[in-house]
Amino acid sequence: MFFQSKFLAFSVFVFFLISSPFLSVSALSEDLVNLSLIEAEAVLTSAYEAVLKAEQAGANVSVLLDKLNLGGDYLAEAHVWYRIGAFENASDFAGLCYDAVADVRGESLELQVEATRVRDSVFNRTVIGSTVGVVISVVLCFVAWRVFRHRYYRRVLGLRPEVSYDES
Amino acid sequence: MMNLDEYRTFFLVATLGLSVIAVFPTLGLVMPQGGSERFSEFWLLGSNHRTGEYPFNVMTGDVYDFSIGVGNHMGRSEYYMVNVKLRNITQSLPDVGDAISSSLPSLFEYKFFIADAEILDIPVNIGFKDLVVEGNVLVVGDIVIDGVNIPVDVSTSLDSESNGFYFELFFELWRYDVMSDNFRFDDRFVGLWLNMTG
Repeated sequence: MFFQSKFLAFSVFVFFLISSPFLSVSALSEDLVNLSLIEAEAVLTSAYEAVLKAEQAGANVSVLLDKLNLGGDYLAEAHVWYRIGAFENASDFAGLCYDAVADVRGESLELQVEATRVRDSVFNRTVIGSTVGVVISVVLCFVAWRVFRHRYYRRVLGLRPEVSYDES
Repeated sequence: MMNLDEYRTFFLVATLGLSVIAVFPTLGLVMPQGGSERFSEFWLLGSNHRTGEYPFNVMTGDVYDFSIGVGNHMGRSEYYMVNVKLRNITQSLPDVGDAISSSLPSLFEYKFFIADAEILDIPVNIGFKDLVVEGNVLVVGDIVIDGVNIPVDVSTSLDSESNGFYFELFFELWRYDVMSDNFRFDDRFVGLWLNMTG
């Protein structure tokens, strides 16, 4: 009986001795997974904001939205696993999210620069076109006016009654 | 017949009109575009994308299909989140109008991006496990959403009038706010009443 209780106490001691590092590792991993989730969310939102800027510049961002959606899927799944305590899965999906959208920010910037260049080019061409259009309109109307006025005078002068002198 | 001054006025007006036409494309680029009302749509459809085929009487182990849809009319691409929640009749619903979400914990979430003037249809399948009836109370053990088993802690009392255990599965629409750098409840939710029969 004595040996049995001693053995039991020893077993409990050994169990706690062995399990305590695992418990602390588990707690630590929960924090780490939480951090990785926060990081993945930050990368995703930062990529989204970059995509918005590219979109506002006039870029076609449909391909980038597909990548963001993939990242969103992974992140949502990571949150679900985290909530139910499956930290390894949560960490994996947070990593997948990070990988899916890691390049989006850079690609958005490239698209934004290109879209801004195209937009500026279109704007410049339009302004130049309008200016040329205004100048042509003014010049054409002025020339037409001069021609018209000249003909008008000739016609009016042509209608003027001539004075004739009676020599008798 | 018009006199010369009247002809001059006519030519001036014509010059002005042609100049305005020439400037019009530039004005189109510079003037702000008049926008329409900005909003998000949110809906729930039964199986086969039809209304009227929603699950109602649910049992342990069965899987129920339906879909949620979101439409973006915000004038730009938006980042949305849908939170899935389960409540009994006494628990809180979102306060629509004041944009206050339900205080219940989210069981599952969807995150997605939608371009302006686009819609997204999300198929959802849901099942329940471990529905335990204890006297007049039914306790939900687990909800299975898209194959993921999620433990829940919700119970409801028998509704003696209609002889059922009623829960509402509801979906809240959240939208990412760039200014505050956070998700905000978008003042929209859809729900589905379920009678659990154990």
